Amino acid sequence: MLKLKPSIDDLTKSAVRSILKNKSRTFLTSLGIIIGVSSVILLVSIGNGLKSYVAGQFESLGSNLLFVMPGTIMQNGPNGSSSIVKFNEKDVSNLEKIKNAVVLPMVETRGKVKYLKTEEKTAILFVTNNYGKNMNSLPSPGNGRWFTASEENQKAKVAIIGPELKTKLFGNSDFLNKKINYSGTTFKIIGMLDSKGRGIGGQSSDNALYIPLTVGFVIANSHDIQSIVLKADKKEEIEIVKKEAKEIMGKNYKKEDSFTVADQSQILSSINTVLNTLTIALSGIAAISLIVGGIGIMNIMLVTVNERTREIGLRKAIGAYPRAILLQFLIEAIILSCLGGGIGIILGSLGALGIDKIFPAKVTINSVLLAFGVSTAVGIIFGVAPARKASKLSPIDALRYE
Amino acid sequence: MIKSSSKKIKKPLLELRNVVKTYTLGGVKFNALDGVCCKIFDGEFVAITGASGSGKSTLMHIIGLLDVPTSGQVILEGNNIANLSENQLAQIRNQTLGFVFQQFNLLPKTPAIENVILPLLYSDVPNSHHYKIGLEMLKKVELSDKIQNTPGQLSGGQQQRVAIARALVNNPKIILADEPTGNLDSKSGKEIMDLFHYLNKKEGRTIVFVTHDLNLAKQAQRIIIIKDGKIVGEEKC
Repeated sequence: MLKLKPSIDDLTKSAVRSILKNKSRTFLTSLGIIIGVSSVILLVSIGNGLKSYVAGQFESLGSNLLFVMPGTIMQNGPNGSSSIVKFNEKDVSNLEKIKNAVVLPMVETRGKVKYLKTEEKTAILFVTNNYGKNMNSLPSPGNGRWFTASEENQKAKVAIIGPELKTKLFGNSDFLNKKINYSGTTFKIIGMLDSKGRGIGGQSSDNALYIPLTVGFVIANSHDIQSIVLKADKKEEIEIVKKEAKEIMGKNYKKEDSFTVADQSQILSSINTVLNTLTIALSGIAAISLIVGGIGIMNIMLVTVNERTREIGLRKAIGAYPRAILLQFLIEAIILSCLGGGIGIILGSLGALGIDKIFPAKVTINSVLLAFGVSTAVGIIFGVAPARKASKLSPIDALRYE
Repeated sequence: MIKSSSKKIKKPLLELRNVVKTYTLGGVKFNALDGVCCKIFDGEFVAITGASGSGKSTLMHIIGLLDVPTSGQVILEGNNIANLSENQLAQIRNQTLGFVFQQFNLLPKTPAIENVILPLLYSDVPNSHHYKIGLEMLKKVELSDKIQNTPGQLSGGQQQRVAIARALVNNPKIILADEPTGNLDSKSGKEIMDLFHYLNKKEGRTIVFVTHDLNLAKQAQRIIIIKDGKIVGEEKC
């Protein structure tokens, strides 16, 4: 039996020398892998960040809330069917019969708010007096106050402003008791909410104006209520409240699909369905970048195959056995791919951290493994396959390869 | 006659029996080698010569185990190489043969010393000895001042001497050279030929070289003339 030299150690040294000697080839090969790995990590992290952000937002609201909405969850919103039911004050007073829950009816819309010459488009929420206390929305001391029950009953034209909208309209100047205009009506600012953090795409409770529901009825010239939030006194009672709410609403709305009583987990799961679709779409984009990166790697490997084939011919002519050649090229491809993959992981993670400052992004171990695995596999396969082919040629054919 | 009969007692170092090498070019088959028989004995200095396209390089590649014949046998030190495994062939190329190419075939961007010790990577020589042996070989070809120069920083003659040092590094019995002076000016060419004479006379190595230049071939002890894939001068089966 022949003693097969050189050892893995010697081959590794030889591979490292070859990598260092061919700097431009090393750079271009790694670049393909770097781009593939970092773009996949970035894209998947944005998708996942979005998902966990939404989940987090819902959890922060507290889990003892129920949402009574017209239609089913998925058809809710401006594009819902026209046959959608509308709730009214009678539904609210019916629901108020539930003992261990607070009823918070509301109407949400978007509109322009004007202060002096500044005009801003914002979310407008028509809510009741007990919304402030129950939805954790009372202004902090020094920032004014929430509106009172008597103000609500008297249809007082008062408004509480979200901190972001306040900055847009007033900058740093005083806002309390200033007059703003919405839909042709003048409102007095009586308070500002605490910041609850920026939402996705600017939609958040920070960029909103809160007006008594009674005033809303006057402005809209309608007593329709868009949705009703039920806040159970205790988390454990949420199932009882849900059952009672369904019974009460079911008496007035007989059609099965006409209303929904959902808790947060239901809403969360329906949102997650949407987000999962988004993740699949992002994965598609990631797969495309992996393919593009892979083609980059493949190209540079194929471009250098002539040079490499001649090198293999020479090595064979001076006594290298086929396995030594394959091993050396394999080690070279592994080093290059891991180097590029490592840099790609670092760049992708740093990029995700950077994006996280303006948009939620979260690096996941799965995306790192996927990107690293696929890129290094492509690098290794296309690094070794030509070497494998060349090592099977006779030395002279390999030396003459063109 | 007396001389040749005395050599028959001695076993040849290398023997070719009826070697045929067929190439297919554009669907047409032609024999680059058409039944070549020859023997090369230990310590000989042999020139193979012939016109361009006569098959002399093909013959050299088969002798050097860089190519396999279509039919016929190659017997090296009594072993039919057709019976040897790929790994055993590699070991012979590494230990027994030293091949010198017309185009030098040095690794680009690689210092002379590393080019010289490349065959040692595939030998049993411990790593700690590589540099010392490499240096010794470069001294022998009078390039001890150029050990760190890459091929691009060396002249053609110097590159060929690095290639010869590489061929010598495993102390082979046979040096095979395919047009070793073909890419060199006459002065460098003479230096290379002088080196071969030295290796043959002082170190007793068998030298086989290919040349199209008859004047160069005349420096050898024996000339094999090849024409259209057949040996026409010297030996016959």
